[in-house]
Amino acid sequence: MEPPRLDELSLGDILDTSDAREVKSGMPRARRRRGPGLRQLLQPEPMFWGLFSAGGFVAALLVPVHVAILGVAFAAGWLPQDALSYDRVVDLVRDPIAKLYLLGLVSLPLFHWAHRFRFAVHHQLGIHGGRRLIGLACYGTALAGTALTALVLLRT
Amino acid sequence: MKTEAPRRYPVYVPKVPRTWWLRSAPFLRFAAREFTAVFAAAFSVILLLFLSALSEGRDAYAGFLRWLRLPGIAAFSAIILAAVLYHALTWFRLTAHIQVIRLGGKVVPRGIVVAALIVVWMVVSTIVAYLHVWF
Repeated sequence: MEPPRLDELSLGDILDTSDAREVKSGMPRARRRRGPGLRQLLQPEPMFWGLFSAGGFVAALLVPVHVAILGVAFAAGWLPQDALSYDRVVDLVRDPIAKLYLLGLVSLPLFHWAHRFRFAVHHQLGIHGGRRLIGLACYGTALAGTALTALVLLRT
Repeated sequence: MKTEAPRRYPVYVPKVPRTWWLRSAPFLRFAAREFTAVFAAAFSVILLLFLSALSEGRDAYAGFLRWLRLPGIAAFSAIILAAVLYHALTWFRLTAHIQVIRLGGKVVPRGIVVAALIVVWMVVSTIVAYLHVWF
């Protein structure tokens, strides 16, 4: 049998069934929702996106001036004579903060390229198969470049 | 209430040609944006070669500087510079779209965000250039 609609009940009916209609005591206890576990936090895709984003900012803010100096100004002869002399550059690079900076300068754009290229192979070049292999190749290359840079910087 | 099994209709999924991004200027700009990452990575490789030559001693370093002065390499560097500048400007423009900045209840207009990023870029470039060349 269908439950009666509220506007069909008389006041007496409502009062008679008031015990059953009573809202039980107190607000419902706020149940603690479990936050993201370690497995969710360590998903690879957001990490790659984060590296892509950082690499994009390094490539945007820092790389242009380095290309302008090392690539264009040096070949055009616009730099002071001893700006890139061996002794001066070795002194600059041997500073530990400079090494950290150079590691980021080389490594992050590589990860930026890796993430972008992995999707560009799919979207622009239209290659649909071997996704896992392509991803591995891209990020692997970036990781290899990072490792090589770290090795070289430690040796300098 | 009786539930019916959902009717299945054939869905038409058009085959997207591989050259879809050549068909209009906005698509081309998108592809160009993506492709600038290749040039940024190329410069990372050049920097790695630079540091490697530096770590190997004076002769290797002098040889690398000679290579860097080759006209072909200089031309390639100019192309890298153009690509990376295009990346920077489009990156700032996209950042202004993605990141909504509110100050005191009002949204900062996108043009101002881009201009602020360009100012930051100029300041950072000046500092780096000073340390690189004249310090």
